[in-house]
Amino acid sequence: MTTLSLVLYVISLFSLVGGQIFLKRGMSQLNRRPRRYGPVFAGVGSGTALLTVWFLIWMGLLQKMDISYVYPFQGMGPVLLVLSAMLILRERVDWRTWLGVGLIAAGTVFVAMSPPASGS
Amino acid sequence: MDPTREGGASSAPPLPWYLHPALHLALNCLLMTVSELLLKKGATETALIAAPRWLAWSGITSLGSGWALTGIAVYILAFLNWLHVLRWMPLSTAFPVTSSVHVLIALGAWIFLGERIGLQRWAGILLITAGIVFCARPAAAAEERL
Repeated sequence: MTTLSLVLYVISLFSLVGGQIFLKRGMSQLNRRPRRYGPVFAGVGSGTALLTVWFLIWMGLLQKMDISYVYPFQGMGPVLLVLSAMLILRERVDWRTWLGVGLIAAGTVFVAMSPPASGS
Repeated sequence: MDPTREGGASSAPPLPWYLHPALHLALNCLLMTVSELLLKKGATETALIAAPRWLAWSGITSLGSGWALTGIAVYILAFLNWLHVLRWMPLSTAFPVTSSVHVLIALGAWIFLGERIGLQRWAGILLITAGIVFCARPAAAAEERL
């Protein structure tokens, strides 16, 4: 994977995770009483914008590389969530979770080492 | 809690078999796989179409492909189906099952898209799938709290 593709992928990963979180937060504001639409539009708007960025980058990567090469990198999504929980929410992470993170990291390295484009 | 069983403390009527969350969870794995494979087919088809310089980083030309547009439609369908699953099943149970999509997409790419996946890539995919299962509960909990 080229450096540019890697940078784009990292941006897309943050966009995907962030977009989903903002979208969910925006939608959950609908449950508040009295109902205020400002936060809903802010959440849904920014969430949709980020998800659009993710989609554009994702399709760009798929145009250049195998999906069996690119998709496994999505395993970093749960890793990002776990790290965010640790740093932002200050949650303790148990050994099973670290094992999972390690497995995902090792797996990602293996996939990254394989040739990115082989298919039709 | 099996929503298709009769009686019990819940006063809600049991779900018919075709609305069972486990069935829909399996369906979700299938829909997500199909949508990604369709997106890839659309991407490959439009890979050589030039985009304006400032958009060269994006795959925006893929929006001209029927495969990609169908992939988007299936993706939306998968999302709606996922909402149904989450209505009856906790995220921490449903999420690890979706890690199977990694294996399904690789199989689908090999069978339908002609991608050549060596042992190294397969090993990586299996490690990632297993890793997600171990991370699933904290990742799901984190997503709910963030």
